[in-house]
Parts: sequence; structure tokens; C-alpha cells
Amino acid sequence: MKAIRILIAFIVPFFIYQKGMAQTVNWIELKDTKHIMTAGIGWDYSVSYYLGYAYQLNTKVPIMLTTNFSIPSGERLLDDYKTKIGGQILLLNKSNLKGSIAFNGIYRRYENPLAKLQNFGSELKGTFGYYKPKWFVAGEVGFDIAIVTHFNHSETFKETIFADVRDGWYEPFTGGNFQYGIQIGYSFNQSDITFNIGMVTTQDFKTSPLIPYYLMLGYNLRLN
Amino acid sequence: MNLKTLTALGLACVVLFSCEEIDILESGNLVPKTVAEDPRLPSISVNGTVLHAEAFGNPDSSLVIFLHGGPGADYQNGLNARQLADDGYRLVFYDQRGTGLSQRHDKSTYSIQLYLDDLTAVIEHYRTSPTQKIFLFGHSWGAMLAAAYINAYPNRVTGAIFAEAGGFNKQLLDEYGEASRKLNLFSEITNDVLYYDQFLTGRENEHQILDYKLSIASSFSYAEGNDEGIEGPSPFWRNGATVLQAFVDISENDGFDFTTNLNQYQTNVLFIYGENNKSYGLSFAQIEAAFFPNSDIVQIDDTGHEMIYFKWNSVYPVVLDYLNSLN
Repeated sequence: MKAIRILIAFIVPFFIYQKGMAQTVNWIELKDTKHIMTAGIGWDYSVSYYLGYAYQLNTKVPIMLTTNFSIPSGERLLDDYKTKIGGQILLLNKSNLKGSIAFNGIYRRYENPLAKLQNFGSELKGTFGYYKPKWFVAGEVGFDIAIVTHFNHSETFKETIFADVRDGWYEPFTGGNFQYGIQIGYSFNQSDITFNIGMVTTQDFKTSPLIPYYLMLGYNLRLN
Repeated sequence: MNLKTLTALGLACVVLFSCEEIDILESGNLVPKTVAEDPRLPSISVNGTVLHAEAFGNPDSSLVIFLHGGPGADYQNGLNARQLADDGYRLVFYDQRGTGLSQRHDKSTYSIQLYLDDLTAVIEHYRTSPTQKIFLFGHSWGAMLAAAYINAYPNRVTGAIFAEAGGFNKQLLDEYGEASRKLNLFSEITNDVLYYDQFLTGRENEHQILDYKLSIASSFSYAEGNDEGIEGPSPFWRNGATVLQAFVDISENDGFDFTTNLNQYQTNVLFIYGENNKSYGLSFAQIEAAFFPNSDIVQIDDTGHEMIYFKWNSVYPVVLDYLNSLN
């Protein structure tokens, strides 16, 4: 069952889009673009930095295949990180009104002195907005679900908290967060400056992460 | 990447991950079972709940009720205090409602008055005679609870020991919180308590997940250079995330003030604080002690907020002298 969920979350996006991530892009300016390099900083559960790449397929309906890697701030470089691969498709394509759906498979890792977590998850995100050649503004709604998670506990955890803790893969879904907010962007030459801001709430709408916001400042370089 | 490669990758994943899957919502996997799930645990049924509880010493001796910190911690790291049983006291430990190994309840049911009623019920459960003396020994939040109890019932308690109460009213709690919980947004320590919100959420009454999340955040409290002077990890069984959030909400929405009647309590009370807790110190102890007409303040050298666990040998003679002075 877990393996099937991992396939759904992580492998299926390969078949559908091959690669991808919910990039913040100016769809109007993507006409002849094939490659997009992205970089940014923001608040994604913690102060985070990310790098990404997107490839636009030569299809009638605009489709981007994207990948993204992000790490949070901290003295230990790679004890926590997140990778996303997926795709983004433009479903509503009027002259200035655009609506897109993005789907990503996620692999992420977390470690502190007590536990190490590895998670396979997925993210579905919808965007609808008003786009001009020089700028855009859009609303976005997404759901990020932690489908299956592997827990591994340190000796400190076992000695001071719970000696009989069970390490291994846990299910059902260990977490899920809704995100909703806005994205704005300014486009010039072959570049976009993008800004995303919004709220995060958990799946039951009754609890929220310790910091229930997200914030991203990004830069896209578009290449033909 | 062609279809064959992807298929092989998919099959590899199926093989790799087709091991046993563990239920995150079952106690005993990530968190220990509570008294509601494991009848072998020592417990008492009082005031409509089941509390994880133990007592040491002669049942007829003066009662010393240990009140652990939190809200949402448990009494394991206060168990050094059972040494007082060898000195002729009856030591009572209990995990407060909704935390430790005690029974969990819906968030909406928690209140400060309910916690005071629980304490009354615990005292009545262990009391063997109406003249038996009652001492409260509170640590951190437990010391706040002790103050709340004396404030509500000034005639019920023989004496009280306050080990670094986090604040007897909302204003003092906020001051202590601001001083002791500074966040550096770019540090690993901060990241350790924030980044995992995308791995684990937990619905409001999914206590197994919420309690576990809180437990692995505990490394924040003893991180190197922490302001509370905590030397390292100290043991606990299980946090109570829901009751913690309930009391945070009560504090934020309603405020609280446990000081309004403390000036009626004429008995001498004891304040102890750790030398290395930069957020507390003599000045904070003096502010809290000033609510009582009679008090002693004692510094415990070379330790911080978790003095009862890490420096019990220094705490013990101070507490024993105080108890003996009133026994």
C-alpha cells in the first residue's frame, strides 16, 4: 500500500509531465521560452533557499516540466531539505486571464538531535490570475500532503523519552497542509521577479503550523 | 528517461518500501501508551479522569505533592524528589490531566479551574486524615499552578516551594517567555522546531501525532547556549500537546492572574532558582516572592531551569530544611 502511494506521489508525475514544480511564472512571457532557471529565498516552514529548473514542452496546451531543490537555513547544511518534481499545465488561456494546475511529487528530509524523518508526499496547486507582458497578479491555492514517512530515532530519544519507540515507515498520511495566497511578478528582458505570500493551515482547519505563513521572493531567467 | 527505466525505477521502489508499515495513530509506536490504554501503569481515577500517579513514603506522613512543569510535560524528571520519602514525607507525583501518561481529553474541556479541582481530588485521594499536612512543590508551570491553588484556597496548604515559576500572571509569563524563548530565524535550532510542520500535522485530537511532535521539539530547550541554562536532555514520558495549546489559548484570550489573594497566605514560602538561568535569576524571583508576605529565596548554584533533575543534590537540602521548618 505504501509503495503504491509512493508511486502515486513520486513516480506518476514522471509519466504525466516527466518533471516539474509549481513555478511562479508570467505565462504571457513564456511564448518562446524553453528553459527557466529559478532561484529564491523565503519562508517555507523556515527560512529557506531554493534553486529550480523548468522546461517548457512544445505542445499546443502550455506545459512546463519542473524540478526544485530547497534547503532551510541552519548550521547543518543537508540535514534538512526538500525536492520537488512535477509539472504545470495552463488550462485556462485567455488573453490576459490564465489558470494553471501544478502537481508535484515531493521527497523531503528532516533531522534534529532526536529524530530523522524522510517523507514522500505530493502537492497540488491551482493558480488563477491576470497577466500582462510586464507584470502579473494571481491567486493560488495548494494542498501539500505527507503521504508516508520514515522515522528513525536517536539514542538520546530512546534514552530520555521512549525506549520502545518503533523506527520504520509510518502511515496513514502523517500530515497535510493547505496553502492559499497571492503571487505577483514583474517581467523585464528575459527575467521575472516574483513574490508569493500567503497562509498555511492544517488539513482540519483547526490547527496551524507554528508560523502559519509562507513568503517567497524569486528570480526567473528565461532562455530560448 | 524512457518507459523501461521508469518502470524499473517504480518496481525498485515497490521492493524497497514494501516492508512493514506502522500505524502512526496507535499509541505505543511513536509515543508510549497512556493509563487509558495500558492498565498496568500506576494510576488513580479522580474528578472524572484517570491520572498517571505514584506515591512514595508512609501514607500517614505529611504529603508533598509534586507539580510538574509544562503545561504539557510530566513528572519523570522530578522523581529525584522521592528522596524526601526517606525523610518522613509522603511524596505524591501525578501527570496532570491530558499530559504525560494521564488520560487525554478534548481541548475544549481544559481550564485552570479544572486543574485546581484535579489537584484537590489528588490531595483527597492520598490524604489519610483531615490533619495531615499538605505541601506543594511546583516546578516551572507546576509552580504557577501551586500559586493558583494557594490564590484560590489560601487555607488548604501547609507550605509551598516554587522552583522557577514561569510567571504568576499574564504579564510576568510574557516577560519570562520573551526572555527565555528567543528565536534566531537563521539558526539550526529554530529550524529544528519549525521545518517539521510539513511532515507532521495532526488533527486537533490526534494526540499521538501532536504529542510526538512536541516531544521531538524538546531539543530546542537544551540547545547549546540556551538562556535557561539547561544542561542537556532530561527524561520525560510523553508531552501533552493539546492541553498545552488549550492553556496557551486561555492565556492569550482570557489572561490570568494568580496573585490576587497571595497576600493572605501568611506562611513562609520558598523560592529556588538556578544560577545559570539568565531569564529568571534573583530579580524575577524577588518579583514573584513579593506577592507573598513571607518568603525565602535561595539560589541553586551551577545549574539552570532543570535544577531538580540536574542538581538535586543541591536542591534537596534546601527543600528539606524548608519542609522540616513547617512540619
